[in-house]
Amino acid sequence: MVGGRDFFARLRRLYLPLAVFVVLGLFPFYWMLITSIKPNRELYSQKIMPLVVHQPTLKHYVDLLTETNFLTWTYNTMLVAVVTTVISVVLGTMIAYPLARLRFPGAAVVAIGVAATYLVPQPLLFIPMADIINRLELGNTLTAVMLTYPTLLIPFSAWLLMGYFKSVPRELEEAARIDGASRWQAMTRIVLPLCTPGLLSAGIFAFTLAQNEFLYALIFLAKSEVRTVPIGVVTELIRGDVFYWGQLMAGALLGSIPVAIIYSFFVDYYVAGLTAGAVKS
Amino acid sequence: MTTRRDFLKVTGGAVAGALVPRGASAAPKAMSVVRESSFIKPFDDYFSKTLLPEYEKLTGIKMSYEATSVGGMLTRLTTIAETKSGPEIAMTGLNQALLFDNSLVDVTDVANGIGKQLGGWHENVLEVVVSKGKWKALPWGNIGQLEVYRTDWFKEVGVTKFPETWEDLLAAGRLLKKKGHPFGFELGHGFGDNHGWLYPLFWSYGGREVDRDGKTVVIDSAETAKALDFCRKFYQETMFEDVLGWTDVNNNKAFFGEQISCTNNASSILVVGKRDFPEIAKVTDHALNPAGPKGRFHVMNAVSHALLTHAPDQAAAKAFLKWLYDDKQLSRWLTSADAYYAPFLHGYDDHPMWKPEPRYLPYKESLKTTRPHTWPGPQGPAASESVAKYVLVDMFAKACRGDATKDVIATAAAQLKQIYKAK
Repeated sequence: MVGGRDFFARLRRLYLPLAVFVVLGLFPFYWMLITSIKPNRELYSQKIMPLVVHQPTLKHYVDLLTETNFLTWTYNTMLVAVVTTVISVVLGTMIAYPLARLRFPGAAVVAIGVAATYLVPQPLLFIPMADIINRLELGNTLTAVMLTYPTLLIPFSAWLLMGYFKSVPRELEEAARIDGASRWQAMTRIVLPLCTPGLLSAGIFAFTLAQNEFLYALIFLAKSEVRTVPIGVVTELIRGDVFYWGQLMAGALLGSIPVAIIYSFFVDYYVAGLTAGAVKS
Repeated sequence: MTTRRDFLKVTGGAVAGALVPRGASAAPKAMSVVRESSFIKPFDDYFSKTLLPEYEKLTGIKMSYEATSVGGMLTRLTTIAETKSGPEIAMTGLNQALLFDNSLVDVTDVANGIGKQLGGWHENVLEVVVSKGKWKALPWGNIGQLEVYRTDWFKEVGVTKFPETWEDLLAAGRLLKKKGHPFGFELGHGFGDNHGWLYPLFWSYGGREVDRDGKTVVIDSAETAKALDFCRKFYQETMFEDVLGWTDVNNNKAFFGEQISCTNNASSILVVGKRDFPEIAKVTDHALNPAGPKGRFHVMNAVSHALLTHAPDQAAAKAFLKWLYDDKQLSRWLTSADAYYAPFLHGYDDHPMWKPEPRYLPYKESLKTTRPHTWPGPQGPAASESVAKYVLVDMFAKACRGDATKDVIATAAAQLKQIYKAK
């Protein structure tokens, strides 16, 4: 047990270290919040205490929501993130399952290929990708990023899920087969339910990566009305050497809320998924 | 029943059909222009909401404007040039017109026509837009980097006119730092405010990175050593210590935070000051970079429009550029930019855009002594590599933090020899 019977010992060993982590974890959100409600004069002033807001204002939020397409960008981001996450997790599962559970010639090479694909840096890929997207006449459409993000996310999901599938004892699946289940039934009714934490973990990771992606969105989404949040705010709220800090932080705060909510719901599964394959079963 | 082979035939055919390049012969029903989003929003708005609709009405061609993020233009331009698709007209900054010259249409005829109509071009801009005798881009202006300073604090120490030489500025800076008003000149890895003063300082002491031939590295010189020794003194005796880690945002922030009395910047500080910090704006002014023993210099950041070779109808795209650079349009458009862009056309030397705010006049004046980064070396890929690797900035920053002059020169010389493939 952490701490001890004595309250002060618990305070010292549990609550104080915990408080440090909580403060460190929440400080970026606090900073985003106070920056987003400070008037510009206060933002730049070095003469006043920066950790409190003296004259709060909602001007930056109003400007963000009325002078930019922030709501459209948010809708685009969510749509792209959800679609690409579904595609990536479904296809990632379809790659990971046979590689982890079936024996067939070349499995090892394919598994290495999946990992290698994930490691190819985006700057090497964006020109050929742009060529394909342009030939398909998908430039300036959300379909462009919905098709290209999975090229990063499928190998990642497959790689994560392979480790997870390997951690499920083979005997469970064999018992199902003996009881008359087909390979498909054994996968969908036995293995996948046991791997829910892994699937959620891959899903959250894919969602976050899709939501934050910058380079492909910069190349493929040139018009304001089809942009995602990372490109929209950088294009319209950074001008020359002047950053519109208040609106940028308001955008960052609003943009991080959906992810924070998703994380808070699935945090236990997520952590379990992250540690999958870390120890031998 | 559809076999697997049939399925592959059908889907393969569909994909192959989609991958065939589009035809390149049809007359344009639409054209698009891409630029990095301007610091001056009304400048972008005037283009997209006034000028483009006017041209649409005039010709029936549907015009669209695409603004890319600050710092994202090079990536966008690379994609357009490599894939030969996307907007027909693109912005180029610095020496980009020469980096992509094979993908850009010769616009010499348009440039000559504009020059004839508007009093001729400033000669120095040719270095960054003319490749092998052919114009590859049409500059609309220069984003100048000048001295931005607090007139009230300079007056406090008895300096009523901005110092003419670097030595005089050092003397003023000593007094100002003692009074609690240090200078703040960027020495970190930003994108403009570092080179904005270091190249001019370097050149004004006679320093050069590479010779005009682009093959002889000449940085290891007594002139470079003098510039470095001066800069070390200038940093230690006048500056806010944090500048070694600054990027372009920091000096603006420090200026409005009233931490610094002088910096090198574009006119963005005064523009934002007028909007958000009127008291500071009242006591802010601009001045030319100080002169050194070998003259006075400014760094060039020419922004231009280039026409891409993949344009389905190059004549139509040229016609648009001719129309845009006609005085009737260009004059109104530049006026909307609040003098942020100094045009490289002599016909605009006395343009009404300079009248409302005399404090912007030094930006016009600075054009005469403006040189591109790495000057007098050729403006090719090696020049870009030197700038991207911060060879000059790091040499000065290391000297300022206390490294020996000969060591930092030796490091820079070795880097440049590798970049320029020189012996």
